[in-house]
Amino acid sequence: MTFGFEQRTVRTSIWIITALALLVVYLPPFYLVAVSFNPELQPGLPALSDISLKWYRELLNERGLFASLRQSLLIASVTTVASTTLALCAALAYLELGRLRNAWFLLVILPMFIPGIIQGLSLSVILNRWQVMPFWGTVALGHLLWALPFAFIVILTSMVNVKRSYLLAAADLGASWWQRVTHIVLPLIVPGITGGFIFSFLLSLNEFARSSYLVGRQNTLPLTMFGKMNSGTTPTIYALSGLILMLSIFAVAVFMYLAARRTRT
Amino acid sequence: MFHIRRGLALASPGFLSILVLGFIPLSVIVVWSFWTWDPSSYWIKPDLSLDAYAAIGDAGRWKVLVWSFGKALLASFICLLFAYPAALAIHFVAGPKWAFVLMAAFTVPFFTSYLIRAFSWRLVLGRTGLINTWLINLGIVDEPLDWLLFSDFAVILGLVASYLPFAMFPLLLVLRRVEPSFLAASQDLGAGFMRTLFSVILPLTKPGIFAGFLFVFVSAVGSSTEVQMLGGAGASMISIMINDVMRVVNFPLAFAISSVVLVALFSLVIVGNAVFGLTKLFEDFK
Repeated sequence: MTFGFEQRTVRTSIWIITALALLVVYLPPFYLVAVSFNPELQPGLPALSDISLKWYRELLNERGLFASLRQSLLIASVTTVASTTLALCAALAYLELGRLRNAWFLLVILPMFIPGIIQGLSLSVILNRWQVMPFWGTVALGHLLWALPFAFIVILTSMVNVKRSYLLAAADLGASWWQRVTHIVLPLIVPGITGGFIFSFLLSLNEFARSSYLVGRQNTLPLTMFGKMNSGTTPTIYALSGLILMLSIFAVAVFMYLAARRTRT
Repeated sequence: MFHIRRGLALASPGFLSILVLGFIPLSVIVVWSFWTWDPSSYWIKPDLSLDAYAAIGDAGRWKVLVWSFGKALLASFICLLFAYPAALAIHFVAGPKWAFVLMAAFTVPFFTSYLIRAFSWRLVLGRTGLINTWLINLGIVDEPLDWLLFSDFAVILGLVASYLPFAMFPLLLVLRRVEPSFLAASQDLGAGFMRTLFSVILPLTKPGIFAGFLFVFVSAVGSSTEVQMLGGAGASMISIMINDVMRVVNFPLAFAISSVVLVALFSLVIVGNAVFGLTKLFEDFK
């Protein structure tokens, strides 16, 4: 059935708007990636013969960046493990909660609706009152609340594969709750858990607003980059931005591809 | 089958984290927004007052609040205008392979850096940027256009580009719940495409439209990077105003602004959930 979507004018207009949407989302970052391969100081598209890794090589000399990168990687790793674990428990709870599940769902995704600056500010003020000095851990706490709802939704999405009949059959055959989780649920939601890991990591690595009030003496990578972007930009910032963009896009694309292939087989 | 006690036990770590990291700090700053600044301790003291809220009326701060909500509203509408047809394309028009590619294309930006994406608009919109270069080469303008960058135009464009994927996700979920038989019935009764779209598809997808609006609106209201990267001199947004107030350590005022925003956003979420049933969108997850 095509319901009128087969008409040429309808199809054409829908595709044009979709193409425009993709253009608005992707043109600037792709242009930035292209510019990062231009050896000239003036940003612009490089001629094919001029493409060079000059600014990527110069990145290696930026000592300050490495300290921020290490800090961000540490925070992202801790956030990832914590948020995926919590999200997994929250999703398993969702299976058990019956009529409470809608309330539970709303509660877990509510932190998505807190503006980053306000969340960072409130958490930093409270930690300050409790005499907790800001360090990488305080940033991770702030990122945890941000990553948790996303990891939760990704894991819940993969739980569509867990049919109630599987669990009922297992229970009838005498499987305990723990056996049902480890033998049935977990194997079926591996893509969701992987997704929770990847997405939490990227969300934390790229988080800017929540970090600014929570950092200690060592800035995270986005904070350092923000400083560089606003003070007489050297083209290394294009290389760094390009690198982070390419890695993020690659990670999410590979994950989505693998997840789709898994559900098809 | 359901085991409420086990469910609650499993829910407790997540619940405690959200409570300690989210709800307690936020409730505390709402309470503290009614306290007064104490110069002797560089902190606040528990003298109840509404001074902080009165100060929102000073120095054009309420204007920043109104403008921020206005910009967010505009950005949300533009996002929906793009996202709705794109969601229709994925759900009804594209074959399975293209549907997947498009869905992936709209998911990826969720997890890329908003800072870098806002920054990259500078290269496109700047005086020597992509668009001005094209316009000059094509002979459409002689001088580079100045209003492209560091302007409200740039901010709205940046917000739309950043948060458009947020509108896609709920729309795709809600389209899955549209019964194909309803559309077939509408067609059998002689309705043209437009009639089917406006009398059947749009009403059935209202919860998704509202959820998409809400996701974009909330993110845009709280955004800071887009304005900092693309806004003109003096352009402000709620987050930037809070930063400025905190720079002069005026805690009660920062808390009061935050409280106003939080109350507005949470009321929107709760009223929206009551009217449109947002949680219904996710009932497929069983």
